[in-house]
Amino acid sequence: MDNQDNNHVVRDYLAPASNREFIEALKKSGDCVQIDQEVDWDNEAGAIVRRCCELEAPSPYMTKIKDYPGFSFMGAPLSTYRRMAISLGMDPESTLPEISKEYLARTNSEPIESVTISKDKAPCKENILTGDDVDLCKLPIPLVHEGDGGRYVGTWHAVITKHPESGDVNWGMYRQMMYDGRTMSGAVFPFSDLGKTLSGYYLPRGEAMPFATAIGLSPLAAMAACAPSPIPEDQLTGMLAGKPVELVKCETNDLEVPANAEIILEGEIVPDVQVEEGPFGEYTGYRTSPRDFRVTFRVNCITYRNNATMTISNMGVPQDEGQLLRSFSLGLELEKLLRSQGIPITGVYMHPRSTHHMMIVGVKPTYAGIASQIAQLAFGSKLGPWFHMVMVVDDTIDIYNWDQVYHAFCTRVNPVRDIRVYDHSTGTPLYPHASPHERKWSMGSKVVFDCTWPVDWDPINEVPTLVSFDAVYPQAIKDKVLSNWESYGFDAV
Amino acid sequence: MSNKWEVFVMDLDELVSEDEMELSIRTLNDGTDKYTYKRVNCRVSDDTSAYPDHLQVRFGRGQLAPKEFSINVLSEIQRFPDKYL
Repeated sequence: MDNQDNNHVVRDYLAPASNREFIEALKKSGDCVQIDQEVDWDNEAGAIVRRCCELEAPSPYMTKIKDYPGFSFMGAPLSTYRRMAISLGMDPESTLPEISKEYLARTNSEPIESVTISKDKAPCKENILTGDDVDLCKLPIPLVHEGDGGRYVGTWHAVITKHPESGDVNWGMYRQMMYDGRTMSGAVFPFSDLGKTLSGYYLPRGEAMPFATAIGLSPLAAMAACAPSPIPEDQLTGMLAGKPVELVKCETNDLEVPANAEIILEGEIVPDVQVEEGPFGEYTGYRTSPRDFRVTFRVNCITYRNNATMTISNMGVPQDEGQLLRSFSLGLELEKLLRSQGIPITGVYMHPRSTHHMMIVGVKPTYAGIASQIAQLAFGSKLGPWFHMVMVVDDTIDIYNWDQVYHAFCTRVNPVRDIRVYDHSTGTPLYPHASPHERKWSMGSKVVFDCTWPVDWDPINEVPTLVSFDAVYPQAIKDKVLSNWESYGFDAV
Repeated sequence: MSNKWEVFVMDLDELVSEDEMELSIRTLNDGTDKYTYKRVNCRVSDDTSAYPDHLQVRFGRGQLAPKEFSINVLSEIQRFPDKYL
């Protein structure tokens, strides 16, 4: 559907425009299970979501929450590629390469500016709590995992902030734990956009920083908040949806938030108090980062829709949104980076089970050192702290086929020549393999595995030839075997 | 009725003291404020009957400690300056 909007011809991809529309779309495709019996916010909801992630089961929509009549939970919103396809308005059966191609096409299109609507038209303003009425305990905030440091408000959300000088608005998925009825604490890494704004502007001046947390976003807004893209997230959401995002101004500060979000928390990040945060079950499948004094958020206004839905991502062992979506968007942003530098790549893929720690790159190895060039570009980019392994394969390998990639890795990598380690780099406090000291200071190290054949080997006499059904038999023999396969007595493949 | 609290520590030795100490504890009482924190002055004992309230302990990665304690909460500490209240 094409429309004229904001002086651009935009295409509405008919993607779900809100979390509510998304739930309906998932129900229709069989990708959501509605649970009408009472569910406890204290561990039970988290356990349901975790099991759904590990079984790749439909998303659970829990309509009756203990202690919180009128609220609901939606878990594991984007932990399968089917649900990702639905969020983009695509056929649920779309393959990962098809989804990736569509994501790249949409995010390489013209930015779509958001529009601001009036408060009376914004569903997130249906209920407004200010002053002494502000109490996070009025919201069904789940204890996601037994042993977590607290109930996590923000697991699938956007923390919205604005740089006071550049005016850049950032939507980021920074986890937030309820400390008390007015206070949240969160993990904000120093290399993140919010971390840089805090350390570069607000903390040195001792000024409080306004923030808003939006929970229960449209799936594409959540995808944008999770994506490491240089495009402002509200515009990125518009590009993914093919139509502008509707924003509304906050009650207590000048930030703007998605008008159809389920719940909005407004407040300020305080510069002079830090309270404890964590531990928390993380996307790596472990509790790794230490409990520590972290960035502290004071809440001074809560707005929410009638019958609001709290969204829950339960991070742990694969696969959940922390791995699937982040691997998807991080891999594709790295693909854009490498293509922008003219590297002859065939694609980039991060397998969700690598917890987005390994970047697999397909390349046409036309010159020496191309694997190192790829690794240095990727590690040296803004995205570098989020992963520490690069595996480079040639263009004969299907990067989405782990059997092929693993075979290339195990047979083509010379331990002396093809493994290169980069020390003294930036890491994250969430790396399970990092020492406690490295975690505390976001230190890291990196490695590249060069699975390409050396370009100075003679391709006829020195490069080994692959022995497989596809590679070695004449086409006529392959055709004959394939056409007779079932008559030989085998099942159809 | 006594209250049930929980604290996170790196080592149980952090709780072995005759002296008053400052801790961040969270309530385990049933209700919508379960798991919310307070910063308190308190006394703690590994004798579970020494003080009126029960204290459960977890380590830094969420593991439940095998030993339980009792706690006497003496006063609450306000961590935030008035400008944030």
